[in-house]
Amino acid sequence: MITLSDVCLNLPGFSLKHIDLSIPTNDFFAVLGPTGSGKSLLLEAIMGLMPITSGTIFIDDKDIKDMPPEKRNMGIVYQDFALFPHMTVKQNILYGVRYHNISPGTVSQRFDTLVEQMNLSHLLTRHPGTLSGGEKQRTALARALILNPGILLLDEPLSALDPMLQDDLKHLLKSLHREFSTTFVMVSHNFSDVLFLASNGAIIKDGAIEQTGTIKELFEQPNSPFTAQFTGMKNIYTLPAASPALASLIRHNGHRPRAEHGHLALRPEEILNENNGKKESCCAMEGVVTRLISRGFFYDVVIQMDAVELTAQWTRHDVLVKQIQPGRRIPFFVPFSSIHTF
Amino acid sequence: MFKLPSFTRGSQPFWSFSILLSIPLVLLIILPLGRMITTPEIGDLIFTIKEKTVQEALGRSIFTALMATLVSILFGTPLAYILARKSFKGKNIIEGLVDLPIMIPHPVIGIAILSLFGRNTLPGKLMAMFNVEIMGSISGIVMVLTFVGAPFYVNTVKSGFENIPLRLENASRSLGAGMGATFFRVTFPMVWRHMILGSVMCTARAISEFGAVVIVAYHPMTAPVLIYERFTAYGLKYSQCVAFWLILISLLLFITLRLLSRERQDR
Repeated sequence: MITLSDVCLNLPGFSLKHIDLSIPTNDFFAVLGPTGSGKSLLLEAIMGLMPITSGTIFIDDKDIKDMPPEKRNMGIVYQDFALFPHMTVKQNILYGVRYHNISPGTVSQRFDTLVEQMNLSHLLTRHPGTLSGGEKQRTALARALILNPGILLLDEPLSALDPMLQDDLKHLLKSLHREFSTTFVMVSHNFSDVLFLASNGAIIKDGAIEQTGTIKELFEQPNSPFTAQFTGMKNIYTLPAASPALASLIRHNGHRPRAEHGHLALRPEEILNENNGKKESCCAMEGVVTRLISRGFFYDVVIQMDAVELTAQWTRHDVLVKQIQPGRRIPFFVPFSSIHTF
Repeated sequence: MFKLPSFTRGSQPFWSFSILLSIPLVLLIILPLGRMITTPEIGDLIFTIKEKTVQEALGRSIFTALMATLVSILFGTPLAYILARKSFKGKNIIEGLVDLPIMIPHPVIGIAILSLFGRNTLPGKLMAMFNVEIMGSISGIVMVLTFVGAPFYVNTVKSGFENIPLRLENASRSLGAGMGATFFRVTFPMVWRHMILGSVMCTARAISEFGAVVIVAYHPMTAPVLIYERFTAYGLKYSQCVAFWLILISLLLFITLRLLSRERQDR
């Protein structure tokens, strides 16, 4: 268990503010936040590469605040891979072995397994400058994992890769986490990556933790408009609702906002253009289409309803077949389970 | 020997104008040096290089310049690393101080060193207790050459350190290497080329120093001081032969520098 208590880190122009986090052992934990929110800095603080100003960091019962990075039994994989350019792939992978008390037999066995698993055997004599992004990332992962660290920190591991490689690496990360039984702490700004990989997470904004919980909780029960927006909600309304239609949503669902001035949010992809025979579990509504915004295979359909606008995300096929066009009044359905209040 | 650069369509007038403006500066360097190199007769040059005084002066110039470079490497490398990696109050002042010897007149450097380490000063007396004399000695020459040459070394190596992403050092430490191991296994292999470039620049600067040296140590004589002495005592012709050999040595150093730079850019 990694426990951060009241961790502050002050830098000129930016600071991490009173971070409290508990990361369970062997968990795949995600730290989510937009660019410049301090998530990578938090990772470097856990690694010991940035000294914290105050607070404590414990691993199980051990205070590691004053421990140098090389003694923390952690590995870090950077977004830009940080491979040593003057060394071959093999030298990169074996770089840290001499600093750990690992028997040559174990090293050899781990090396062979990782090289096989990461498909690096044909690249061992190459230098990083000649590798593709995916090959570099796999080398960086092998370099960290050969030491079998207690905690592996991943700084935006997917963002420098093209979409096809991202998909491969996501699956690789998932299987590595299962296999190595190591705590993975991943920093990301992409909620869909996190949804696939992580089981718990924290959302960080301007150097402060906004919300922590299981990924399901973050996704379904955001506690602020920021978290809601960050986890993919586009329709966020302040309560009490000015629109009778929105008020009816709360009435139908029986939900009540936690505070008098709470929020109601709907995910665009959860708004339906037909009730699929589940009339009793949906709230039927209607409105006038004001805009269609193409998203490739999908459309963002902007619907005017009373005084509020609402965005639904429907497939190109549905929009064409149902002749959904600006100016048309259309029915739509909001499943009760998709109404989020906070 | 020279090949004009190729031009993209429409850019020729701009480049032609640039070349036209560059020519006077190139000529200003080439013509006097060319004249200096071509004027002496071969026989005079050979006679000059056979002179013991000349050999000693050239050897002394090379030796003291190399010593100054060694001192710069030893003390300048950590300074360059600190300036490249750390932010602290007063950093701008330190950087300014490092650059200062480039800006101030060099006789002033000689006077400053003598006023601190002269025979009648406390530091001078302390050094004398250890048989180290600054005035009129090799140690004094090395000290002023370090003063004038070190900024070139420190600034070149500092820019080399700055070019190495900090993340590489962080990654190394995350893999278990301490600061020292990280420096020698990750940082040094990536910065040594800058260290060589800095050393060559430092040596080249030191080898040609006259103003500061002549104040601190007229004797034992270095090559630039010998050239000056021959010019004042015997005239232009006698100084040109020594100057020829000094220019040749400087030229070799700078050709080495350019070759190293080119290799660095290709990587």
